[in-house]
Amino acid sequence: MSEAYVHDRETALVSDELGAYDRALDGAIAVAALNFVLGLATLVGALGPETSGVALTDVMLAVSAAGVGGVGLVAACAVLNVVEIPSRRIRGLGVGLVGGVILLTVFSTVPGVDMQTLMGVVLLFDGLAVGFAGIASRAGLVDTEPNASAGALAGLLFGAIGFVLGIALNGIVFGGTLPVVVVGTGLAVMLAAATVLPREDLGSTLPVALVVSLLGLVVASSVVDPGWSSIPAEPMNGGLTGSVVVSLFVMLGSLLAGWAAAKSRARYGARGRQYGSFLVIYLNAAMTVVVMVSIVAFVTVRGLDYTVHGFTIGALSGLVVLSPFLVAALAYARRPAGAADWHGGVRETVRVLPLAVVGAVAALLVSLVVRGEPFVHQFTYTIMENRQERTLETALTVTPELTVGTLVVATPSVVLFAYFFRKYGSLAGVGRTFDRQPTVQRALGGSVAATVVLAVVLLLGGSQPFGLGLGGTLGFGAVVITSAAACVLSLVAVSGLLAGNGSRARRARHNAQFVKVGLFGALGLLAGAVVLQPTTGTTPSIAGLDLLPASAILATVAGLSVAALATMARRATGTSDAEQRLTRRLLAEEIRLGLAGATGFVVLLAGHVATTDAPFSVAGLTLSDGGTLSWPMVLFSSIPLGAEPGGILPAVVGTVWIVVGASLFAIPLGVGAAVFLTEYAERGRFTALVEITTNALWSTPSVVFGLFGAAFLLPRLGDTPSLMAAMITLGFMLLPLVLITAREAIKSVPNEYRDASAALGVNKWETVRSVVLPAAVPGVITGVILGVGRIAGETAPLILVLGVGDAGQPVDVLGGFRLMASPPFVYNEALLEASKALPKQVWAVIAAGVSGSPSKGWSTALLLLTVVLSFYLIGILTRRHFRRKLDYE
Amino acid sequence: MSNAISEIETAGTDETGGLTTSGERAEEIQSEWTDYRLSADPKLSVENLNVYYGDERAIRDVSMDIPENSVTALIGPSGCGKSTFLRSLNRMNDRISSARVEGSVKLDGTEVYGPNTNLVELRKRVGMVFQAPNPFPKPIRDNVAYGPRKHGELNRGLVARLLGRDDSEAERELVERSLKQAALFEEVKDRLDDNALGLSGGQQQRLCIARCLAVDPEVILMDEPASALDPIATAKIEDLIEELAEEYTVVVVTHNMQQAARISDQTAVFLTGGELVEYDDTETIFENPASQRVEDYVTGKFG
Ligand SMILES: Nc1ncnc2c1ncn2[C@@H]1O[C@H](COP(=O)(O)OP(=O)(O)OP(=O)(O)O)[C@@H](O)[C@H]1O
Ligand SMILES: [Mg+2]
Repeated sequence: MSEAYVHDRETALVSDELGAYDRALDGAIAVAALNFVLGLATLVGALGPETSGVALTDVMLAVSAAGVGGVGLVAACAVLNVVEIPSRRIRGLGVGLVGGVILLTVFSTVPGVDMQTLMGVVLLFDGLAVGFAGIASRAGLVDTEPNASAGALAGLLFGAIGFVLGIALNGIVFGGTLPVVVVGTGLAVMLAAATVLPREDLGSTLPVALVVSLLGLVVASSVVDPGWSSIPAEPMNGGLTGSVVVSLFVMLGSLLAGWAAAKSRARYGARGRQYGSFLVIYLNAAMTVVVMVSIVAFVTVRGLDYTVHGFTIGALSGLVVLSPFLVAALAYARRPAGAADWHGGVRETVRVLPLAVVGAVAALLVSLVVRGEPFVHQFTYTIMENRQERTLETALTVTPELTVGTLVVATPSVVLFAYFFRKYGSLAGVGRTFDRQPTVQRALGGSVAATVVLAVVLLLGGSQPFGLGLGGTLGFGAVVITSAAACVLSLVAVSGLLAGNGSRARRARHNAQFVKVGLFGALGLLAGAVVLQPTTGTTPSIAGLDLLPASAILATVAGLSVAALATMARRATGTSDAEQRLTRRLLAEEIRLGLAGATGFVVLLAGHVATTDAPFSVAGLTLSDGGTLSWPMVLFSSIPLGAEPGGILPAVVGTVWIVVGASLFAIPLGVGAAVFLTEYAERGRFTALVEITTNALWSTPSVVFGLFGAAFLLPRLGDTPSLMAAMITLGFMLLPLVLITAREAIKSVPNEYRDASAALGVNKWETVRSVVLPAAVPGVITGVILGVGRIAGETAPLILVLGVGDAGQPVDVLGGFRLMASPPFVYNEALLEASKALPKQVWAVIAAGVSGSPSKGWSTALLLLTVVLSFYLIGILTRRHFRRKLDYE
Repeated sequence: MSNAISEIETAGTDETGGLTTSGERAEEIQSEWTDYRLSADPKLSVENLNVYYGDERAIRDVSMDIPENSVTALIGPSGCGKSTFLRSLNRMNDRISSARVEGSVKLDGTEVYGPNTNLVELRKRVGMVFQAPNPFPKPIRDNVAYGPRKHGELNRGLVARLLGRDDSEAERELVERSLKQAALFEEVKDRLDDNALGLSGGQQQRLCIARCLAVDPEVILMDEPASALDPIATAKIEDLIEELAEEYTVVVVTHNMQQAARISDQTAVFLTGGELVEYDDTETIFENPASQRVEDYVTGKFG
């Protein structure tokens, strides 16, 4: 409904004859909004009010470069048919940005013009525009529908503003010489009367015009400059500084001017009030966003230079690391943005920004590889050393390497492969058109299983198990045969799309089984060969080319060809009848299978290189198990006391393990209890009691949990602070929230599902497991996200239960497991050691001054923020995944 | 019309207080058909069934036999207890904590309310389709295969595949057969893996029927299965019910007299207060009912 309504309002405003009145007011609104944001930015400190000339241009250039870059990228994507073309809005925005940059460049080279003057002049313009609009309406020059009065509420508001302004102006302009209350009250009464008494068009514009012009004059004429302070006699003893006052004035003025201009633009009356409040709400939302972004930005700016100290990465590795983000940004940007109103335009622009940023970085990396020159960014920062400030020079380096770190290549591929395979790669239906379908399937499965068994036998029994020469000739033969068979099968997959008669789509549909059998078979066989080869100890090669990687590359090419051929066939197929639609679906599946196969082969190739340590190069590109990546702050294990930067890997690893452990502890327990309370327990005293205690537990201060952990858990866990104790303590903190949200989520699953399941004769537990819980998952995840956000940043309990951890190495939890013959049978010393965690590290570095450098503290804080936000991101993505599964779209 | 209602209501209230004139008439009518057996060997046989919600009695002393492989329609004004009666046949009333059942329901001669009844077995044999379509938010295929999978009749997944007990082929056939039985297969065969919530209301209801059929029940209880559907979808469901009656015993609640007349073999008329006023061949009920109240009701004089 709201969408339709907004659209209505929009067309109504747009379809009006656009006279000078409207255009001037549109300008005034836009300028007021911009001015508001500028004022906010000044307040936050992103721009100084004294920013002048070149600096101003720099800021504007950066902002518009990002914008123009985004617009350009969208245009490119639109040409390539990747994204729906957002047409006029985006084009208009691009033109506007370019024009703005040119104007600002000219403007800011005029000496003496700075940010403050600019904002003041804009306020003055706004004030005058609003004033003229009101007068024009009152004089009957434009057709408006004003009410009799602007209303008592507006009068009260302007009275209050008048009072505050009176006092402020008295202090600023007259140096506080006049009696405060008299000036304040006088201005208040004047403004209130001017608002309430005249007709609405004058009442809601003239006081605004007056106030805003006054503010503009004060700001522009530099009566208040950054050096000014509200209590000149006692500097720095409370009171506002000049820059703060200026930005507050600008924000207040813009808000008022924008409101009045929006009201006038919509011809006053009910519609005017509506439009005016819309504007105020939007600016309000903008403010919220800016506040949140600025918190993150603040930490980032302070911590970034220490964090990237000595950072080196190869350009290709960088590209590979970036690729998932690129895909995600593209997917995000291409989703249709809804209605084509101005909200839609804004939304499209916002959507495009991440794409612009990631795209720009990708372009930079590519250009490095092409030009072959490294990119070195020098910067300096100060740190404390022996209580003395010292500046340090360092560089961020990106080298145009041609060595791709094997595992780094593999990571995104594995993700893609797993995704596609899970979605489309079931053996169900394979070989359906063959006479002996089960035989085909069994042959495929059997050959893979046999290879794996052979590999295991070789691994356990040495190269000659049971006296058989498997490791030598036999193993060699097996590898050669499997690789060759994989090559043949991958070629079969491609030939399936080429052989036969009829159109390409017809052939693809007809021979779909060849594609499936070929790709699956090749994958399975090659996987077997990769497992087998290291155990045989031989590396078969043909004509100087290593057999295994060569087959993997051949198969990758085959997979990609399948995808390409199927894409072409799909392009050529219409959507008119059901038959064609079915063909398109089948082809789409073939495309995905081809892609999944290709990524799978790359994974295998990487796995081969990783297991045999044998680098493989083709066409000048070397695949080896090393890659260029050095990141001292994150990858080093300790921070030395001196100036040299060090790493906080132990703290990062510690935090991740604590969160994982606490979640593993709390989620099953919390969800289980929620299921019991909601599905099994009768509503009554007991459930009410549990509800009250969980709520109380959730509001318990975290240090109390810490004390509990220290007094109760530690004596039972080896009497020393340990990772395990921290996991359990924070798990207890997480538990109530998981329980509460899981209960709510389970309760909100419709009863019809339970009835339907029961009527099919399915028992309660099965119903809960397969119908109720899946439907409740998104809600449960929301709870876990919130809870993890809280515990990941906890400091107080960790000080008590995690210990002071002088561990120089990150905890090795996975490698710490030991099996024993006596209870408790499993033992993990890593879990019982003291460890480090990020929040505690921040506390130690900043507050206790352990290693004395504020930069290190900020950098740690930045990493903590990143870790927490990553958990958050993972949560959001999982929730989206499950929501999609529940929804039909 | 309002006169008729008040007459019925008085009759109902009077009966609780004892036998009055109109109560006598009801008694007289009842005696006419109480011993009426529609078949010698009924599929379901209900005797002196009373259902209470707390202290309130929603079903009063109902006795009736439901013959095998036929359609039995339950009609009557809103709130007279049709749904309650239907739910007591597969013990879905057990799920309502305030509900209490007295009397006896026999399925093929075995007491449904006996102490040793296996609820899972019972509900597998007596399936149910609800008034509002309620597919699970899962793919169409999973909806249909849900019952058999949960009953362990279909093995799937990696372990089953490795053990060679993979029933995915059997499952594919079952899904196809059930959807064809529910006259839905042609419409959804290309999108078995799409979420069932994306189907239209009528398709969803037929999916629910397919889901019920997949468990291979003997009796199917349907509570106003077409009440949320347009005439075309309703016609499809009606045809479906008639077809199902060849293999299954169908009990269907409906508010639509024409529908009851069209599809059912015998009809039971409930009137306010949860009493069964008349039960006979559908033809008799609609053309020559024994009771005046029933005649008023089926000819639309009230209700
Ligand atoms: N869960 C319940 N708790 C208490 N009373 C109930 C409950 N369900 C039904 N009743 C009452 O039992 C009586 C019979 O209800 P029932 O749902 O069986 O009627 P119905 O004949 O199916 O009506 P309709 O045609 O409107 O569906 C009604 O008076 C109703 O208020
Ligand atoms: Mg009902």
